[in-house]
Amino acid sequence: MTAPFGDEAMSTTTNDSAPAAAASGTVAAAKIAIRNLDFFYGSHQALRGVTLDFPERQVTALIGPSGCGKSTLLRCLNRMYDLYPGQRATGEAMMDGMNIIGPGVDLDLLRSRIGMVFQKPTPFPMSIRENIAFGVRLHERPSRAQMEERVEWALTRAALWDEVKDRLGAPATGLSGGQQQRLCIARTIAVKPEVILLDEPTSALDPISTLKVEELIDELKRDFTIAMVTHNMQQAARVADRVAFFYLGEMVEVADAGTMFTAPREKRTQDYITGRFG
Amino acid sequence: MSGVMASGGMGAGEPAREAARLLRMRRRRTWSVAGWGLCAIGFGLLGIAMGWILLMVLLRGFSALTPTVFLEVTQGTGGGLLNAIEGTLVIGVGSMILAVPFGVAAGLYAAQFSHTLFARAIRFMADVLVGVPSIVLGYFGYVTMVEGLGWKFSLAAACITIAILCLPYICRTTELALSQVPAAMQEAAFALGAGEGLVAWRIALPVAMPGVVTGILLAFAISVGETAPLIYTAGWSSYMWNGQLVGSPVGYLTYAIWAFINEPFASANALAYAAAFLVTFIVLLISVTARLVLLRRQGGR
Amino acid sequence: MSFRRVLAVFAAVLPASLIAVRLFLAVYSWPAVRFNGLGFITSTSWNLGNTYGSPIVRNGVQVLPGAHYGILFLIAGTLLSTLIALVIAVPIGVGAAIFLAEAVPARFRMWLSFFVELLAAVPSVVFGLWGYAVLVPLLGHYVFPVMGRVLGFVPFLGGSTGSGSGLLTAGIVLSLMIVPLIAATLRDAILAEPMVVRESAAALGVTRFEAVWKVVLPGVRKILIGVTILATGRALGETMAVLMVSGNALNYLPPNIYSPISTMAAFIVSQLDSALQDPTGLAVRSLAEVALVLSVISLGVNTLARLVLYRAGLKAARV
Repeated sequence: MTAPFGDEAMSTTTNDSAPAAAASGTVAAAKIAIRNLDFFYGSHQALRGVTLDFPERQVTALIGPSGCGKSTLLRCLNRMYDLYPGQRATGEAMMDGMNIIGPGVDLDLLRSRIGMVFQKPTPFPMSIRENIAFGVRLHERPSRAQMEERVEWALTRAALWDEVKDRLGAPATGLSGGQQQRLCIARTIAVKPEVILLDEPTSALDPISTLKVEELIDELKRDFTIAMVTHNMQQAARVADRVAFFYLGEMVEVADAGTMFTAPREKRTQDYITGRFG
Repeated sequence: MSGVMASGGMGAGEPAREAARLLRMRRRRTWSVAGWGLCAIGFGLLGIAMGWILLMVLLRGFSALTPTVFLEVTQGTGGGLLNAIEGTLVIGVGSMILAVPFGVAAGLYAAQFSHTLFARAIRFMADVLVGVPSIVLGYFGYVTMVEGLGWKFSLAAACITIAILCLPYICRTTELALSQVPAAMQEAAFALGAGEGLVAWRIALPVAMPGVVTGILLAFAISVGETAPLIYTAGWSSYMWNGQLVGSPVGYLTYAIWAFINEPFASANALAYAAAFLVTFIVLLISVTARLVLLRRQGGR
Repeated sequence: MSFRRVLAVFAAVLPASLIAVRLFLAVYSWPAVRFNGLGFITSTSWNLGNTYGSPIVRNGVQVLPGAHYGILFLIAGTLLSTLIALVIAVPIGVGAAIFLAEAVPARFRMWLSFFVELLAAVPSVVFGLWGYAVLVPLLGHYVFPVMGRVLGFVPFLGGSTGSGSGLLTAGIVLSLMIVPLIAATLRDAILAEPMVVRESAAALGVTRFEAVWKVVLPGVRKILIGVTILATGRALGETMAVLMVSGNALNYLPPNIYSPISTMAAFIVSQLDSALQDPTGLAVRSLAEVALVLSVISLGVNTLARLVLYRAGLKAARV
């Protein structure tokens, strides 16, 4: 069986889509496998029984109307919700044999393996170089030369090097919005995570910056597993390998991008991607 | 570039690197715990010192509070504090009467015409004036009014000095309160053809009134707690205020704290503690009330 | 007259009073400024001269024979006590602010913050009372002697430990008076930093404390600098509390940290009576010059603080 998830833990929703995905032949081994994930903000349940795989070195886009839970799912994967009292998740999210949302997970180590880029650029109040070095220094003790090399590597991968190489000591807040967002991506990959979470990474950017970031995502998936939330369906179609549609806290349907936008199985998905609601 | 690093998929497959990470993480955690500890100690020190001060004032002050304190005037180093209580209130009310019209006007101008040069000047000067040491104002009052105009130690000199001291507080709190009045509300009034004066007077000021009153209350609290400028302007009197604005000194509570704690007599020290209790009680009562009013309006934070 | 004009006239009283106070002090102290010259701030001797002698004329000013006014010891006392206050208050203020903003659950935070803010309202003379009645005996009898013995090898910490009234005591009391300002302002600034800054730090795998210390705090550093300068101004001009715990030294520079001192502000209060003994009036005018120097310093410090805070985007700092 080519599908990596042939076990009983799958819920019905995944059962529906799995054969389709498997048939298309694009599904690689799952880097993260979510099974029956529920999420609560206090007493309000925001996610119900989500089961979803994030294939290794592919871009998985999460789409759906506002408040459908797609960002919430992203924030489960690096346990960002632990910063807030009253928020909790139950179920399973396995990565390399470890349940991310289980007890006893080392959050700081987890977050060094799963990076995240936010909707609005969040440069730290320090120089461009320091923004990159900050995260690296948390986990390693590189020499000065190694650090310089790492900074250049990260900025190059984030397609920012040529624009900032002459002013690495300048405050990062002086960059344009698009540059800041690419800096945040560089900062994230400098730590050498395995998974990158992108929470609407282009929603605050102009079209040209958006294009650059999209090209960058396409480039990055050679090395990283990427999960991305987006409101923009064209964007999902352009950069994603797999697309999962969320509605009212449930994962309605997941398929490879081509199938999803041409032949969705569910009526709700079809209504959404054709713009009937959302 | 750098093909070595671009190999992706790192982490799980490199046990040595993983172990180094874990070690660093443990060290960083220790530092973090220590950091939290130091912050807690900082807050703890602040809390202990403050609790100590308040407790001292409360315990020693409360035990010194006898009916005599409220019923009699000071006699030498004993007696009561009736004269000082009255003086403190009279000075407070008097300086507010002087300061409120000008302070509110300045705040109103700074808020309603906020982009004019004059408004900016007012704002900046108010902020800077807040920082003028009160003793400088006291000395100014002494030289100009007490000596220069021949008013002697007097209520008028005290009230004018304290009024100057309180002006910037009233101005800034008024401006702050007015700046929170929705612009749309004022624009709607302008759209009906109302003039600047009418909008400021009938729309902006009434809406901002709780904030303005809070500012005035806090300024009053400041006047109750001030000492240095009063030593030079109000002087001290063991008698009740005689109704004169100039020519005769006035007693007030903060003087009793400062002067009577230095006396070698238990009766004097008791009066100092009683005065400290009254001053602290009045000031904290006003502050608590003012902040509660503001909090309620903002719906908590 | 239009409403705006009338309002402007009333509003003008505020800036006018500020300017009038400065101007008046400058004019009034002018004879003293001429007589004292630069020696006023570079020498240590406050001497009214022979109050029974007949006045003589020097530099075009009537003075008592032997009169000399030099306030270096006051400037030293003021700056040193303020320095000690800052050294104590800034770390405690930063720690307390971080604790209040980041470590305390939201529902207690309001009450604890409230407590800190109330302390800012406690009158100066009450701090002085506590310092005089509690702190001075405690430090003088128990703490300073031990400090002098144990830390005596450190310059400025050895030597006679005195009665408890002095430089260090004044610094401690001053620090308590400015900590609430620093803590409350910084706490507001930290709370105002967007949550996403903390999140993006956390997303890199930093601990919560590292996120606060290395990312959030640098983000509010301008406000920290501004409020520290503001607190400096407050400490420089503080009068009553210092007057009650400083020992009111006259005409000598403090040989060590326990030594009695006096500050410019406290000196103005303590010396008026004796200055009135000078029939030429020069002593009173020299006191006015002390007030002038103090107000020029505090004007400079406050202007600097406000400029920093305005640039940091804090339009309405705590007053």
